[in-house]
Amino acid sequence: MKILVANRGEIAVRVMRACRDMGLACVAVYSDADRTSPHVRYADEAYPLGGDEPMASYLRIDKLIDIARRSGADAVHPGYGFVAENPAFAAACRDAGLTFIGPEADVIALMGSKTAARSAASRAGVPVVPGTDTPLDASISDGELGAVADRVGYPLLVKAVAGGGGKGMRTAPTSHDLPSAVRAARSEAGSSFGDSTIYFERRLERPRHIEIQLLGDEDGTIVPFVERECSIQRRHQKVIEESPSPVVDAALRRTMATAAAAVAREVGYTSAGTIEFLLDSDGRFYFLEMNTRLQVEHPVTEMVTGVDLVQWQIRIARGERLTLPVDAMIEPSGHAIECRIYAEDPEAGFMPSPGHIRTLREPSGPGIRDDSGVAAGFTVPIFYDSMISKLVAWGCDRPQALARMLRALGEYEIGGIRTTIPFFRWVLAQDDFKAGRFDTTYLDRVLAARNGQPFVEAAPLTEEIAVIGAALHGFLRGPAAGGRSESGPATAWVRTGRLEGLRR
Amino acid sequence: MTFAVEVNGRIRTVAIERTPREGQFRVSVDGHVHLIEAARVGASGLSLIVPEKGRASHDVEVLEGPATGEMTVRVGHDSFRAVVNGRRAVRADAGEQGVSGEQRIVSPMPGRVLRVMAAEGDQIGAGQPLIVVEAMKMENEFRSPKSGRVKHIGVREGMAVEAGRLLAIVE
Repeated sequence: MKILVANRGEIAVRVMRACRDMGLACVAVYSDADRTSPHVRYADEAYPLGGDEPMASYLRIDKLIDIARRSGADAVHPGYGFVAENPAFAAACRDAGLTFIGPEADVIALMGSKTAARSAASRAGVPVVPGTDTPLDASISDGELGAVADRVGYPLLVKAVAGGGGKGMRTAPTSHDLPSAVRAARSEAGSSFGDSTIYFERRLERPRHIEIQLLGDEDGTIVPFVERECSIQRRHQKVIEESPSPVVDAALRRTMATAAAAVAREVGYTSAGTIEFLLDSDGRFYFLEMNTRLQVEHPVTEMVTGVDLVQWQIRIARGERLTLPVDAMIEPSGHAIECRIYAEDPEAGFMPSPGHIRTLREPSGPGIRDDSGVAAGFTVPIFYDSMISKLVAWGCDRPQALARMLRALGEYEIGGIRTTIPFFRWVLAQDDFKAGRFDTTYLDRVLAARNGQPFVEAAPLTEEIAVIGAALHGFLRGPAAGGRSESGPATAWVRTGRLEGLRR
Repeated sequence: MTFAVEVNGRIRTVAIERTPREGQFRVSVDGHVHLIEAARVGASGLSLIVPEKGRASHDVEVLEGPATGEMTVRVGHDSFRAVVNGRRAVRADAGEQGVSGEQRIVSPMPGRVLRVMAAEGDQIGAGQPLIVVEAMKMENEFRSPKSGRVKHIGVREGMAVEAGRLLAIVE
């Protein structure tokens, strides 16, 4: 069996590792900018897509199918992002006689509509966040929208039906804010998803984001896993995930796992998927949406259950039945935490920091897993998402997992570009974070309150060592570094060296 | 051999000489003398041990560039920008020097110019958006640091820019 991985970077490498563990051949695809990407070098075979922008490369269904055929691949793994939740891609694979490693195209399409997904959850008897169950298109008058919004109640969220990742989403704290929120959400939804229909959802006050990973096979067996806590978000993007949640007890865990499995069963779900919930401060949970793919944070589940979710995706796709011990999958073994390492400069408002990686030292040691997609000598392209690696730490309990993560962040050295590593060191030192006291609004609130203070303030001694290091580097490298000799006039050799130094 | 090393806006004079002991150096920083044991590790690594400070061990990495004498020095997990024997580094953030005179707006990162919102000769106010550069699916808006006249626009919409590329000059 040969698998084409229709993705790039760290997730492509992650999927190929599962292939190699199973003795399967793997095929990479790459854009021009990714010619020397680790996922190309790791693969057994690699085919160019041409182009750089996603629209010209990793989103080109025609090229992906053509390469799958030419390479003789039997199956296609879409990773996450790009074509992973595009039902047209799943259908194109099926029509080309390729196995799509994921759910059926019509299930992707169904759950891709946020309102249809809410209806499915309601049919399964699972509570949904109060809101509208029918899409609101442009034909609905402002007066009608106002009446619908009044029934939902304020504060409310205006969300894109085709949405995800915080795009096409606006808050309306009062009825006064509704028209501008609707306008902005429609405009962003139209440009991001080509569909400007919206719906309303009541905005819960300070909820936690808790989600349930699950696997489904073609026999209809659904296995839910212990929850993931994903409340640490910056501008609606998850940045730290954990399993288990510091606030979910065994009874709530079982209830949420049962609810998630009911939604998956309702839609006949196969492969790996995730049901996202909001949990309020009273312990009530509400269905938010379903992601019909593998998720970035899947490793924390793997670390506390010992299950390789990507291998199971492949096994389910080739017709195997789930043989996992169901009860054990909601019993976490220890605690795991993941930090998403982005090529962004936290000291400059998280500005993108693509560019050439000159040196790289990855963390290791007890309990550490680094799912990385970059290497020294690689230039992080400007065209794609800024996530370059997922750093995961496991410990026998939460304090040990956090301590190991902090240690690993200290070991992780990426020279040449800026990354969010210093920011994570700061978050992990916060008392509220350490105590598990946070919700989805926590990070944006504490970041706003910091007012741009640097995340890292080095001790004076460290600064002095840096000064000594810079000078010693020049001294040991020789006279070309430009040190002024005190032993009389420079020799011709030294002068030449200085000139070369100047020319550089 | 002496070096003028600038870190965090402060220039220190560093004098280095070898001691009779292999790998040991006498390092004076603005007159304060330290004995340092130094060993190179690859092209950019330095392992420093300070015998008189309880043999404290420091993992240092020095990456040169882009200009001569400019380097990034990492000590443990702290990074510093240093300039050795250079002209005094010009601060990128105008806040430190005030915003009088001609202001050059430079892209700190590579990317693609998404929008140019002013033309040469335009009168603009402080904080008014000038140019949007997109990288990694994120838009970054560059605003005028002062009110004045747009003297120069260095890019066109759709253009790819490198880090350090001059975007605009406001006078």
